[in-house]
Amino acid sequence: MTTWLTDASVLLAWEDRADDHHEDAKRLLEGDAQLVTLDLAWYEVTNVAITAWCDDDAARRVQRVVSALDDAGGLVRCDRSLIADAGELAAVHRMSAYDAAYAATAHRLGAHLVSCDLRDLVRRGFGVSPSQALEMGAA
Amino acid sequence: MAKVMVSLPDDLLAALDAEAERRGTTRSGLLRTYADEALRRRGTERAARIRALGGGTASHGGDVAALVKRHRPRG
Repeated sequence: MTTWLTDASVLLAWEDRADDHHEDAKRLLEGDAQLVTLDLAWYEVTNVAITAWCDDDAARRVQRVVSALDDAGGLVRCDRSLIADAGELAAVHRMSAYDAAYAATAHRLGAHLVSCDLRDLVRRGFGVSPSQALEMGAA
Repeated sequence: MAKVMVSLPDDLLAALDAEAERRGTTRSGLLRTYADEALRRRGTERAARIRALGGGTASHGGDVAALVKRHRPRG
């Protein structure tokens, strides 16, 4: 059974119908695949919904997606060991600590990282886009 | 396939063995089936909850990946 680790961008793309990845993110999150995310995603989706979109309803919806994942056993809490792994990954690959935290979590779980960040994660080989995940059987 | 050691109460083990025999499978096979079914059911329930939230009712301008980066705290 393959596990897919969705970052904050996938959760936000599910909410934003104007995003290029919206339909694929919706299929992924509303499908039966084994999905997990990192606790960091809650902060990131809230920041974007409240600060950029200024939309409290959207913030509540994406937060509830995180809660649904949590209730299904799909929320990973960052711990000291994960922080250490992420720090090392960030230094070696010159990536942000945030991206490294998702990548390190996926590595630990043996999961595929799914992200809409084509430039820094997908093209660099750290993850796959929602459409690629669906092609690989996540639905 | 990994081999694991699992501790179970005697009465639960007896019930599992009886069910495995009834189904014509092994104890390991039955536990695999139950684990798989439980995880799939959890995924199905999670999917239904997310569908009910109604994502995509609003348009926020797109390019969410860039927005996530822009709103990360800077050290």
